[in-house]
Amino acid sequence: MIELRSVTKTYLGAGRSPAVTALNEVSLTVESGEFLVVTGRSGSGKTTLLNLAAGLLHPTSGEVLYAGDDLWKMSDKERSRLRNHKVGFVFQFPSLLPSLTTLENVALPQSLGGSNAPQQSAGARKRRATELLDMVGLSDKLPSFPRQLSAGQQQRAVIARALVNEPEILFADEPSSDLDEQTEQEIMTLFSGIHRDSGLTVVMVTHTTQLVSYGTRAVEMAAGAIVPGAA
Amino acid sequence: MRLTSLTLRDISGNAFRSFVIIACAFVVAGFSLATILVARGATDSITLTQARLGADVLVVPSGNERTIEGALLMGSTAQIRMARANLEKVGAVVGVEVATPQLYLMSMSNSSCCSVPDMFMVAYDPATDFTVEPWLRKELGRDLTLGESVGGTYIFVPEGADTIKLYGYDLSLEGNLEPTGSNLDATIFFTFETAYEMARISATKAAKLLYASPDQISSILVKVSPGSDPGQVAKDIRAAVPGVSAITRPELFGSFREQMEGQRAVMLVVLAVILALALAVIVLVFSMVVNERRREIGVLRALGASQTAVFRALLASALTLAFIGAVAGIVLSALVLFFFKNALTEAFGFPFMFPSAGSFALLVVIGLAVALAAALAAASVPAYRISRRDPALSMRE
Repeated sequence: MIELRSVTKTYLGAGRSPAVTALNEVSLTVESGEFLVVTGRSGSGKTTLLNLAAGLLHPTSGEVLYAGDDLWKMSDKERSRLRNHKVGFVFQFPSLLPSLTTLENVALPQSLGGSNAPQQSAGARKRRATELLDMVGLSDKLPSFPRQLSAGQQQRAVIARALVNEPEILFADEPSSDLDEQTEQEIMTLFSGIHRDSGLTVVMVTHTTQLVSYGTRAVEMAAGAIVPGAA
Repeated sequence: MRLTSLTLRDISGNAFRSFVIIACAFVVAGFSLATILVARGATDSITLTQARLGADVLVVPSGNERTIEGALLMGSTAQIRMARANLEKVGAVVGVEVATPQLYLMSMSNSSCCSVPDMFMVAYDPATDFTVEPWLRKELGRDLTLGESVGGTYIFVPEGADTIKLYGYDLSLEGNLEPTGSNLDATIFFTFETAYEMARISATKAAKLLYASPDQISSILVKVSPGSDPGQVAKDIRAAVPGVSAITRPELFGSFREQMEGQRAVMLVVLAVILALALAVIVLVFSMVVNERRREIGVLRALGASQTAVFRALLASALTLAFIGAVAGIVLSALVLFFFKNALTEAFGFPFMFPSAGSFALLVVIGLAVALAAALAAASVPAYRISRRDPALSMRE
């Protein structure tokens, strides 16, 4: 489904600081329907790997293929459309837009697909967002603003938003890193349930090795490379 | 929800920064409109005043050139006198088709009749006049008779009265001329016959004597024959009639034009400085806004908003804020110019007239366009940069 071929990412240093190679000649294939957990310590390059695989970051060299098509040979419009229609994201940081209600936040991706997006009525969009918020246990928080939600509730709303366009793949970057143990377990159970029930492909990055058990496969990263034999 | 309204909601969430962008557009639009209005209004006013006089050459006693310009344009007191005998000499110069005399009488300070502080009184000769007569023929179908007058746009009969009382003399107002933006709007015209009668009455009925001698006039307005060169005719008049100055139409109000050009240049420089400052401030503030919102913009890009969509939405947000400021600036600028026109005319030292509704609408569009173009240009740079960044980089702390 997604293939990284010899991908390198170097961040240019600001001012006189030296360039940093965050990912070095990494190759990885993510098969359809799997739940891949990418582990590694801070600075190992796992978030860079996820961003590259998701088309959120230009590789310095190498290729990133989605269903056989090179993401970086597509136009920005095509890449944006692909992200909107086929990819869902759960970020480490609070990523709900503060000026929108929970319901508006979840429904948002449905209105960002451009002119080629499937035309849905406002009512249908609202229904879909409401269903998902119900699924993640936030049916009573529809009119609440993000600041009125707990960290765990915010992350659940983000998961609902990630699923609103029925994506083929879900990328999650340390989705439970800021949560307490109980909430972390709730979120991970939610991920597992979504993967099990819908067959959605999931790529999750985490520094917590205990979470590997939730996935169907795990890879470990260190110093910008996949640790051999750890996959 | 549309991306533009979402971005605008986010950007306008910071009241102070939104206010700064609005304020920049307010100043740019307001000052642009004021500059164009004053510059254009002054040119229009001078051109209309020249056209109203209708003279190809204006003859005045030497040394009174600036005084006559000040009287006609600004209403400055003009006690200009020369011998009526000069009229015959001017009329005899080759190339002169018509020569008509005018007598400028003492301005009435704080007269109860007028909505302006001073009123300028001009006596003319109906037999030869080409300043008021064409209008009279068109509007009244006749000449003025003894005791009748026509006035500029600011002349009116006081409430509860049937006539305008001047120097104890009752004068009927038969009509008002079109506005020129100059002192002609505060000028009242009547015949020499009426002026002499008013002077006679003033001796017994007015607190102040009006002096109007049949042997004296203030100026001679000349129309040249078809094919004659006004410059050459003026030269010949100066040679034939000692002690007079002959000013051709293009030279008339020359000193005011120079003054106006100088002030216009200053205003344009100030406008350029304001524009540059506003551009810099908008670039700075919008960069701060965009930088503050870069993570949200990164999230929007990750969720499927294209570079173009984000760029357009950011520009639309900046334009919306600028539009609010520009409209407010234009309204305030127009109101100040309209209601403080007289004070500003005095401060500038040259007249200006408010344009017609159509021209004003065009100037408003120009003022708006300048402010919106400035906001567009200033917001483009940060908007372009952030929209072109990889979403992951925008989302990074």
